[in-house]
Amino acid sequence: MAEKRLGSCRDIPGRTREYETIFILKPDVTNDVIGQVNTKIRHVVEAGGGQLLKVENWGRRKLAYEVKKQLKGIYVFFNYLGNAGLVEEVERNLHLTDTVIRYYSVKADENVDAATKTSAVTDETFANASVPGPDEEAIATGQAGARPFGDEEEEGAFDFEEAVFGKVDEPIRRGS
Amino acid sequence: MARPEEKDADLEQEGGRKKNSRRRACKFCTDENLSIDYKNAGLLKYFITDRGKLVPRRLTGNCAKHQRAIARAVSRARMIALMPFAVTGK
Repeated sequence: MAEKRLGSCRDIPGRTREYETIFILKPDVTNDVIGQVNTKIRHVVEAGGGQLLKVENWGRRKLAYEVKKQLKGIYVFFNYLGNAGLVEEVERNLHLTDTVIRYYSVKADENVDAATKTSAVTDETFANASVPGPDEEAIATGQAGARPFGDEEEEGAFDFEEAVFGKVDEPIRRGS
Repeated sequence: MARPEEKDADLEQEGGRKKNSRRRACKFCTDENLSIDYKNAGLLKYFITDRGKLVPRRLTGNCAKHQRAIARAVSRARMIALMPFAVTGK
């Protein structure tokens, strides 16, 4: 475990920070391996004094560009509370894991009162996170529902295409 | 979507080229339910060109605050391969 280190001056004693970590696993790993990685990260978070808020598996998705020779990957999303040094430890562990091809952490909030946050992670939801969601092909052919993020149907109520790109063609030509 | 009276104003300009005088309102200021999230690639894709570059806010009508948020969100989405850095057409 990482040494307890000082946080930022902005930190209020007794409050924590909220972090989000997304990591991408190789597309051909089995559910057992996903479960092992998830359990490992969960232990790291809990051993570092953090609290898991949410764990999601976004399923096997196409990557926007090639990452470590892979064009697809399994996205796993962790949302947790923690203090300074915890993210370093989580990322160090992800870095050491061979099946993880990319990881990225974001500070979602700071000076969070841990008592106000409720954890959505139970043993059942945690176990579900080791099962990748439906493939993109299955969603495209209508065999499965949409994912929590990344599908434009989510924003179907608002026609962004028209709002943003309604008259965009002409100005772009003018500008170039 | 263009309002007729504004179109007339465009036509009234003599000489030179027509100016697009319509002022777009920032979508994120007008709609409170809409939030900018780096995980929501489906929303962010409307703010990048087909080459993967950011669309300037003079075209999208975003306010400065939300354009910064969009830029930050797109950068983050690029890091986790939800969005491309560049589309080369290969």
